[in-house]
Amino acid sequence: MANPILKVENLNVELGREKVIEDLSFDLEEKEILVILGPNGAGKSVLLRTLLGLHQFQGEINWKKNIHIGYVPDDFDVPQDLPLSVKEFFQFKKVNLPEMLQALQWMGIRDSLKFLEKRMSILSRGQLRRVLIAWVLVDRPDIILLDEPMASIDIHGRQIIYDSLVKLWQKQNQTIILVSHEIGEVVKKANKILALNKKILFYGKPEEIITPQNLAKIYGGAISL
Amino acid sequence: MEAQFLYSLITGIFIGGVAGYLSSLMITKRMALVGDCLGHVALPGVALALIYGFNVSLGAIPVLILGIVLIWLFEMRTKLPMEALTGVVFTTSVAIAFLFLPEEKVSAALIGDISQVGFWDTLFSVIFCIFTFLVLRKIFSKIILTNLSENLAKVEHIKVERYNFIFLACIAIVVALGVKVTGSLLMGALVITPAAAARNFASNLSQYSYGALLIGVISCVLGILLFKVFALPAGPFVILTASLIFLISLIFKKI
Repeated sequence: MANPILKVENLNVELGREKVIEDLSFDLEEKEILVILGPNGAGKSVLLRTLLGLHQFQGEINWKKNIHIGYVPDDFDVPQDLPLSVKEFFQFKKVNLPEMLQALQWMGIRDSLKFLEKRMSILSRGQLRRVLIAWVLVDRPDIILLDEPMASIDIHGRQIIYDSLVKLWQKQNQTIILVSHEIGEVVKKANKILALNKKILFYGKPEEIITPQNLAKIYGGAISL
Repeated sequence: MEAQFLYSLITGIFIGGVAGYLSSLMITKRMALVGDCLGHVALPGVALALIYGFNVSLGAIPVLILGIVLIWLFEMRTKLPMEALTGVVFTTSVAIAFLFLPEEKVSAALIGDISQVGFWDTLFSVIFCIFTFLVLRKIFSKIILTNLSENLAKVEHIKVERYNFIFLACIAIVVALGVKVTGSLLMGALVITPAAAARNFASNLSQYSYGALLIGVISCVLGILLFKVFALPAGPFVILTASLIFLISLIFKKI
């Protein structure tokens, strides 16, 4: 096997006294896209946060040395009373204007000079999510981890985020781990699928995993694409 | 006499500025009333300083450190909400102070007395204000990002606990400095009202934080000038000026 960017072996995570992840092993190569699927409460977000070092765990998580990780959390919100502009948000990362504009453009935001002056708290959920993804991408991480990037966003917003992500994958060969509780178009672009419900249910190529029988097993009922 | 007034004014300008700047972070972190409580916690130290005639900020600092450590320890031991424990500590502190605070010093302790600051007091305040401002400016974006998403901040290699601790230390220093101007009772307003007013003018973060700084400075300058004119304590004038600016800011409120 080539040089894996991430290798996880016998991972166990407990939160409180509850086992949230049991005996999980998988790996990821550079420029691969891994989609983690599973119903709500399956431990997907916990897995992502564990990979990021935010939860204690047993087992092994080995990242490639000096890797630069970008993370798009699912709970990012800007309170109404904080007058933070998009530009100021990017300035937290000490990046220059062309870099900001480029990152916003990746996420399909045009007329970005004007957009940079906007207040974060007045953006729609879809816009806010795109800004966050652009912010994570702006200093060019080796890998990005996205936690339900399409959650609670309307269909139009989803489409834009989805299209932007696909373009990004095609242009930059970005290594990606994406958590999703639904099976959409996203799955078809994946190199690997990890279907999770505390334990690994399935792990492999999308065409092998996404079958009606397997989906019924993952989600506990009949589901179709 | 004129030098004395100048010292008061300089002390007020610097303390008002740094307290105003801090207030924008306090409101963002939903900690507005912490400054108020810490002002009360400082009271025994302020009382000692007034009795023995040394700088009230120097008296306030050790008591504030003790208070913060106690709140932190109680929180670890009991897991009770921080605000409840802060309530226990600050009322205890006020009660202790009133056991030995002489009656003629009550006013100075509660609403401040800036009329007696000397050269060294002023120099001490200015140095501490500049230092605290620079530290706050350095940690500002990290505190804001942590407030938006702690997990995101951690992934971006921000040492969240460390910055929270530094932030708390800055609050303690600003409160210790502020009790000189507005006293223990009114200190809270110096770290609430400037940002509350600036928020109504501001359309971005730097307008917000530097606007609050400016409002803190203006409140202190006008308050101290009014004290000069009316020969009443400066503390209440400073706070009322800030409140007035807040009322005016309502006209400019941006949604």
